[in-house]
Amino acid sequence: MLLFAAPGWAADGTAAPDPADFSARCLTCHSQDYLGTVESSQGTRDLHIDPDAYKASAHGLLPCNSCHTGFTHDPHQMVANGEFFAETAGEACRNCHDDQFEMYKQSYHGELTREGGADGAKAPLCVDCHGAHEIAQVDTLEYKQSIADVCGQCHGGREDSFLDTYHGKSLTLGREASATCVDCHGDHIILPVSNPQSMLSQANILPTCQQCHPEATQKFTTFLVHVKPTSLDAPLVVLLVAVGYLALIVCVFSFGGIHTMLYIYRGFKDGLYSRKGGH
Amino acid sequence: MSANIEVPERANLVYHRFSAFHRFNHYLVMISFFGLTLTGIPLKFKTSYWSQIVMDAVGGVAAAGFIHRAMAVANILYFVLEVGYMAWYVAARKGPIFHDDSIVPGKKDWADMKGMFRWFLGKGSKPLLSRFTYWEKFDFWALFAGTFLIGGSGLMMWFPEATTRILPGVALNVALVIHSNEAFLAVGVIFIFVHFFSAHGRPESFPADEVIFSGYLPVEHYIHDRPEEYANRLKAGTLHEVVRPAPTAGRRRFFRAVTTVVTLFAFLAASYTLLLVLWPLVF
Repeated sequence: MLLFAAPGWAADGTAAPDPADFSARCLTCHSQDYLGTVESSQGTRDLHIDPDAYKASAHGLLPCNSCHTGFTHDPHQMVANGEFFAETAGEACRNCHDDQFEMYKQSYHGELTREGGADGAKAPLCVDCHGAHEIAQVDTLEYKQSIADVCGQCHGGREDSFLDTYHGKSLTLGREASATCVDCHGDHIILPVSNPQSMLSQANILPTCQQCHPEATQKFTTFLVHVKPTSLDAPLVVLLVAVGYLALIVCVFSFGGIHTMLYIYRGFKDGLYSRKGGH
Repeated sequence: MSANIEVPERANLVYHRFSAFHRFNHYLVMISFFGLTLTGIPLKFKTSYWSQIVMDAVGGVAAAGFIHRAMAVANILYFVLEVGYMAWYVAARKGPIFHDDSIVPGKKDWADMKGMFRWFLGKGSKPLLSRFTYWEKFDFWALFAGTFLIGGSGLMMWFPEATTRILPGVALNVALVIHSNEAFLAVGVIFIFVHFFSAHGRPESFPADEVIFSGYLPVEHYIHDRPEEYANRLKAGTLHEVVRPAPTAGRRRFFRAVTTVVTLFAFLAASYTLLLVLWPLVF
């Protein structure tokens, strides 16, 4: 479907424009708020681009066709092809990030793109973790703080238990040195814990902890990150201590609160507060 | 009853309740408690709006961690001092141990508590309280046990590698649960539900009890607030041990100023805690 007249340079065979200019051409339409969405095999995609957010992203200096490689001329024929988005979301990144892409292919996430998950799980593509037009600067605190939520999109619940550990709490409040999901599980080459190659397999977990805790020993690695203390899945000792404290807190606060309120009541009733020294 | 017992020239006398050692320890507890709460509660309520503001104000999580550990050392110091004092008290037979006027809970505390509830509800007169009331004993022993638990679990997390040379990793999970809950319990007891009121806000002490800062209180007040101890001492002839000439006007003004400043901080600490805990429930 051709929405707009094809640019003159394509029709008369003149040279392709300067890359920066290419983006300006795309944004003439794609920065308009009235642009809607399009369905692709990767889900619903928004056609609207916020130019300021894009320029502030890690890719802000790249022209659109660095990633949208299919656009040589007459771009809007491509739009009808939903496959375009899936391709852009993976292979396009490879042009610059080949090393990462090779690791990704060997990871469990990469395997999912070829095999599909056992329970129909969909493979996350580069953009699902990194974002697309607002792609993050990976060396920022904001990006590090967003990782648990990104992983949580598929690994629901795991991010909450992580965020309740000291690593998670201190990272949330701005401590950059704190480990997050990828520091222990791996990033591009992430593998299930059951895989011997995983950073958290029996053979590899100690060196993984030792990246930050050089003095760690084998017992150190049995600390459980993903524990909800009051859930029945928690180790019994953790569950008992957590429930015991909950009961203690409720009892002490209730009794203390009632005692205090009754004391205040008696104090006012007998006019003790208005007398010097309370007597 | 107290009005019938006369102390000569009582207007110029004070009752000496706390020694310099006990007052020093209370200052340590107080300062470390404020510092630990300021830097620890934001972690527990990490998503509370004010947590980030407080963390930034103290210079970030790393700076807060340094303050927290420095205050933890003060915590360990007062705990060790208190245990040392107790050992010395027992070994040197400095005073009664299982007695109504000691810090050890006894039958009188249970009777006093029932008596206080009857008094609250207008069904009897106020019980004759002794040197330490049941709520003061609760404060003391709760803090004693709490310091051990929160200090122990804190040290485990401060030195996780050393801890797991001896204990399994799940010990660190338990330590976090203890530390976080004990902190919440302690802050609730001290700032909100018990201590600030029972020591300073009750009508006999309102708005603040200077005795923990100055060590003394007017004999008149003592006879009224601790009639049992007074009667015991009168009977045993030990009143002279605790009754002293009133300090100079300058000293009195100084301790009044200290008490005022501390009361202000206490009020801020209670407000701060409520702000961090309640804010997420409202906004």
